[in-house]
Amino acid sequence: MTTQEPVIVIDKLQKSYGKVQAVRGISMSVERGEIFGFLGPNGAGKTTTIRCMLDVIRPSAGTIRVLGLDAQRDKMELHKRIGYIPGDVRLPGKMTGKQVINYFSRLQGLEPVLLDDLVARFDVEMKRPIKGYSKGMRQKIGIVLGFMCDPDVLILDEPSSGLDPLLQKVFNEFLLEEQARGKTIFMSSHIMSDVEKVCQRVGVIRQGEIVTVEEVEKLREKAGQRVTVEFGDAVAEEELTRIPGVSMVNKNNNNSSYHFSVSGSMDPLIKALSHHEVMRLQAEEAPLEEVFLKFYEEPEKAPTMAQ
Amino acid sequence: MATTTIAKSIPVPKKRAEGLAVMIRTIINARTPLSIGIFYSVLIALLLAGLYPAISQANIGSYLSSSFISGLIGGHLTNFSGFTVFLGLELYSAFYGLLFGGILAWIGGAALPNAIENGTLDLALSRPIARTRYYLESWLGVLICAAAIGLATVFAVWIDTFIVKNAGINWQWLWITQLVQWAFMFFAAGLGMLFGSFINASRAAGGVTLGIIALGYLMNAFGGLSDQFKWLLNASPFYYAPAIDPLVFHQLTWWHPWVLVIAGLVCGIAGLVIFNKRDLPAV
Repeated sequence: MTTQEPVIVIDKLQKSYGKVQAVRGISMSVERGEIFGFLGPNGAGKTTTIRCMLDVIRPSAGTIRVLGLDAQRDKMELHKRIGYIPGDVRLPGKMTGKQVINYFSRLQGLEPVLLDDLVARFDVEMKRPIKGYSKGMRQKIGIVLGFMCDPDVLILDEPSSGLDPLLQKVFNEFLLEEQARGKTIFMSSHIMSDVEKVCQRVGVIRQGEIVTVEEVEKLREKAGQRVTVEFGDAVAEEELTRIPGVSMVNKNNNNSSYHFSVSGSMDPLIKALSHHEVMRLQAEEAPLEEVFLKFYEEPEKAPTMAQ
Repeated sequence: MATTTIAKSIPVPKKRAEGLAVMIRTIINARTPLSIGIFYSVLIALLLAGLYPAISQANIGSYLSSSFISGLIGGHLTNFSGFTVFLGLELYSAFYGLLFGGILAWIGGAALPNAIENGTLDLALSRPIARTRYYLESWLGVLICAAAIGLATVFAVWIDTFIVKNAGINWQWLWITQLVQWAFMFFAAGLGMLFGSFINASRAAGGVTLGIIALGYLMNAFGGLSDQFKWLLNASPFYYAPAIDPLVFHQLTWWHPWVLVIAGLVCGIAGLVIFNKRDLPAV
């Protein structure tokens, strides 16, 4: 593959389980050195897509290419260069962390060059049998398994689930360092604040279909601002809703203050407010989570890609 | 918590020997039924040596010649004399296939679903390990369990010769008898791998395979009762592992064990095809 080609290319991927269509012809690509967030509600098709990428399940139609290699036909060559962390890391209870790592390192056929650093960074328990591990401790072993042989591409299925906030922060920092080293990371997640911190682009999947693939910055712009204005004079709600970019206007019943969202430029709002007595004005960035949640909603309520 | 950072210069990972990691893991996963198999094969063989002096005085010839008992033990013993006959009756009869073949069927059936249940299959197959290799290594692990149980039996019989005076064992025919039993175990292992290739729960897959072995035993037991049920006899895998004939009478229909080997091979290969084609379930 050339350097210009995307590292991951999913083209018209479909996967059905009997009559249930889990993934309905999705297409997207991930560039080299990118951290791509793959979001969606439970049952949307995230894990199905990831398992198709690993050839653990076979697509009903469509193709997946990773590093220029076909995910099915060239899987042996491809699997030498990818790391994978499952969403729920489950391991044999009687094995110790060390035995698990040794087993999977042998299957990889490579020395775990990052092992010592990962164990130190994530404070991984190695000596006790896995059955005594908490979910977070198992997840840490999963992180070690995914990264220890220094793969080029990481496929992570909700990698930080079960980690405490401190470790989530360490993990996010680690992802950014890996990205700086040129690694490409495809991760599904439910923790939107983490996605916001580390991902450059996100794809949102809902009911097996891609709703949007967007840069996080652009989504942030779309999310706009949350504004609260307390007026000294009487202002009609309709006057505010007519201002370009203003939406979701709510009046506080106790006083003459309004809450609303503003997308795009604030200039029309400022000009409109100048005709009134403004006692208090507060503006803050709307959390990106709200935008994501809108995409998660039922199709008739949720925004489309064009919007 | 430690706060070290990843070293800036990370060496390219060196290649390391893969070995037969999946095979070894299969054997480790099967350690409980394997230990049970080895323990009982040794225990039964040693108990026989201990009981032989007392039992050999009993007059059970007419009891043995009944067609019902012949059905239960999977062979016709008319004359109860000598330690070899005792071995043929109590150890190498159809009970051997039922007990140890059953254990092998369980191990074979559970081999692949175990890896699904403990979450290692997804992680293993996301590495450069082909499904075919994973399956064949698992199968080999099951066959090594069969070899271990059989060798433990032969070893225990060898110990018996120090306990029983004039045991009179013809070792050539004892090894042939053991090979016949290994052929039966090979069949049980192949059958287990077949069911394990499409059943996701280890107990279900092991249990179904064990059930088929038990059904085969019943078919063998009742098939010998009358000519009317002879088809049951011919359809039972136990019919093709007549251990009493080689051990006691030093005779064997040579193609009978091959039926089991070929059937085991067909089952195992069918399982491989299914395992290669199917979608593997999430944990």
